[in-house]
Amino acid sequence: MLKNLQEWILLLGIFGVVALLGNWIGYEVVAVDAIPGMLILIGICLVGLLLGEIIPGSIPSVAYVAIVGVLLSMPWMPGSDVVVTYTNEVNLLALATPILAYAGIAIGRSWTDFVKLGWRSIVVAMCVMIGTFLGSALIAEVILNFQGII
Amino acid sequence: MKQQLTNIWKDWRLHAIVLGIVLLTEAIGTHSFTVGPGVILLLPMLYAILIGLGLFFTPLIKEKQSKNAEPLIVLGVTLLIAKIGVIIGPSLPQIIEAGPALLLQEFGNLATILVALPIAVFLGLKRESIGMTHSVAREPNVGLIMDKYGFNSPEGRGVMAIYIFGTVFGAVFMGLISGFLATWTPLHPLSFAMASGIGSGSMMAAASGSLVAAFPGLEQDILAFAGASNLLSLSTGLYMSIFIGLPLTEKFYQFLTRNKQDSSKQEVREGA
Repeated sequence: MLKNLQEWILLLGIFGVVALLGNWIGYEVVAVDAIPGMLILIGICLVGLLLGEIIPGSIPSVAYVAIVGVLLSMPWMPGSDVVVTYTNEVNLLALATPILAYAGIAIGRSWTDFVKLGWRSIVVAMCVMIGTFLGSALIAEVILNFQGII
Repeated sequence: MKQQLTNIWKDWRLHAIVLGIVLLTEAIGTHSFTVGPGVILLLPMLYAILIGLGLFFTPLIKEKQSKNAEPLIVLGVTLLIAKIGVIIGPSLPQIIEAGPALLLQEFGNLATILVALPIAVFLGLKRESIGMTHSVAREPNVGLIMDKYGFNSPEGRGVMAIYIFGTVFGAVFMGLISGFLATWTPLHPLSFAMASGIGSGSMMAAASGSLVAAFPGLEQDILAFAGASNLLSLSTGLYMSIFIGLPLTEKFYQFLTRNKQDSSKQEVREGA
């Protein structure tokens, strides 16, 4: 587990540096200003990953990561404003861009499978995504309207 | 997996290439153009996945880099989830207030069956269509179908087809349609924000990212609702499929193909 922890820290560190530089170029947040926020996010990840290892049961580590993140930043938590202020410097999309760059490189190996799919599968796949997206949006629209939130 | 995880940080070639992609795509920035009544948004992450995919076919990326990239996606998504967590936290009061909408819109995922299954059957697909349309086919659902029908079943091939499409083009496709639909239809951006959480971190980031680019004033609410909905989809999606989605798909498939089954029975009878 210590070996894993070391590897997590190194990889999250590398990922963090890439994201901070993207954050700088794309969203004009000077890298130094976003370092505390990135360190907080990496810390949340590590705590969540460790909880996932320690706590028995089949709950995935990302669930713990999400819970730790929400707990630290909810308004009733003392010091949450510090967490929120610093992590606000790290743009969500600046984290998404490197993920998708790695994903593009990784999915190259699925490309041959993709080419074999055929046009009918691709049409159905698009309908599946549009279906779930529009279905959820319609229900949300009705309920949010009913509640008077929008 | 744990064995493989060691020493991936030493793959400097991979990290340098990703850094190059990130710097290039962020420098290009977000661009948008109008198509009829809606807006198509091109985000840096969409170029990033396409450039990454393109580089796979050049000598720059070898099999090793492609394999090493996988654990970094997992850790990157973990970091994204931590960020989503601290976006949700401050908005927790609003999220609790919008709780009914958040919970009920999960049932909207079933709409995929009503929309896509008739089209799949119309296109002549057989039982593959059950695997294809019962859900958005992320990892838990692939597991469910494999468990129930087996890897080499038509249903298994169907779910794999959608899974592969989602893996390769899911984020690009969701990013494009969410911005377009939110600017074209009269539905509120916050409704689409909730719809963005379909149980995949990268698809959620692409869909909600497009929404933020189109409606910058609503950034905090869009991301908080999308993140909360995505966590909800992750935790409830599988049960939704087991207890409602898959049985409904089976029934609806039988309903849609009843005429064909009748006529094939008739043919047998006439033949006999």
